[in-house]
Amino acid sequence: MGSPVQAVAADGDLIAQYLAGEERAATELVRRHATALARYIAAQGAPEDELEDLTQETLFKAFRALATFRGGASFRTWLLAIGGNVLRDRRRRWRKNLVVELTPDIRDPSGDPGAQAEAGWAAERLQEGIGKLARLQREVFLMRAQQGSGYDEIASGLGITEGAARVHYHHAVKRLKAWIG
Amino acid sequence: MDRLGIDRTTDELPPEIGAALQALDARVAKQAARVDVERVAARVLDRLRHGEVERPRRILWMSPVALRVAAAVVVLAAAGVIVNLASDHPQQTAAQQLPVAIPAMDSLNAPQLEAVLEATGEVRAVADSAVQATAGVSLDDLTEQQLQALLASLGNSEG
Repeated sequence: MGSPVQAVAADGDLIAQYLAGEERAATELVRRHATALARYIAAQGAPEDELEDLTQETLFKAFRALATFRGGASFRTWLLAIGGNVLRDRRRRWRKNLVVELTPDIRDPSGDPGAQAEAGWAAERLQEGIGKLARLQREVFLMRAQQGSGYDEIASGLGITEGAARVHYHHAVKRLKAWIG
Repeated sequence: MDRLGIDRTTDELPPEIGAALQALDARVAKQAARVDVERVAARVLDRLRHGEVERPRRILWMSPVALRVAAAVVVLAAAGVIVNLASDHPQQTAAQQLPVAIPAMDSLNAPQLEAVLEATGEVRAVADSAVQATAGVSLDDLTEQQLQALLASLGNSEG
């Protein structure tokens, strides 16, 4: 006889538990989503030394507003939408261009140096292009292409229609293709 | 590391963007991995436990202190303008105009007053020069009204 399979609580259950006063449920939600959230924020050009603070601020705001989460979007997509807002607010405060430097420790030491340089250049170029996109294009593109969210979830998370989400994604890809081209 | 999303959607992207996105995501994934998730969770919970209220975006002028300082600056600046005018029209002395500013400053504490005086250094300089310029005015130059005001203020200071 095999060992019993431990049920993994769905995000919705954890949210309900947290709202009922169970703090451990919040910890579990943070563990589940913090890294993906940080990736999403970093891909938008947030400086690495601000990443943990931005992640924390986003999660704090999300838990503060958790009672308003209706479940139309997945919890993660909802979180990403809040993360986009937090980053935008923070950028207003920074009042300067954000450039994430490709420092030596970020480079992958293995593999062909020529290929690495090319990949590094493409990554930088893409990040520049993402930074030039309109807000909704940028957020829809990253939610879809980086995070793998469905258009219905994206639409719900950002408060737009599914059709609009598709259009923003299409324009984002077109503009990025021209930018990298 | 959660790479399912990017693996699922790269196929629908043009190859050059898909490759660039893979490279970008590899880089930001390393940055994200340096985020201490347990520390983030602890801090978020701590803030929630203490019921931290999100600071509303306060407009500077909504602050009572800022309002008082601003009001005092305006009054002093107006006094400065009047003093300037007085220097152009010697029949009105600066000494008559400056006291206008004094009552408005009664409600300020020492640091606020200091801030006001710093901000209005120029006004004071103008006032000083205006007082010097009009120091030679004699009682004969004053109008009847001005004489009455002067006598009244002398009476006040004696009483």
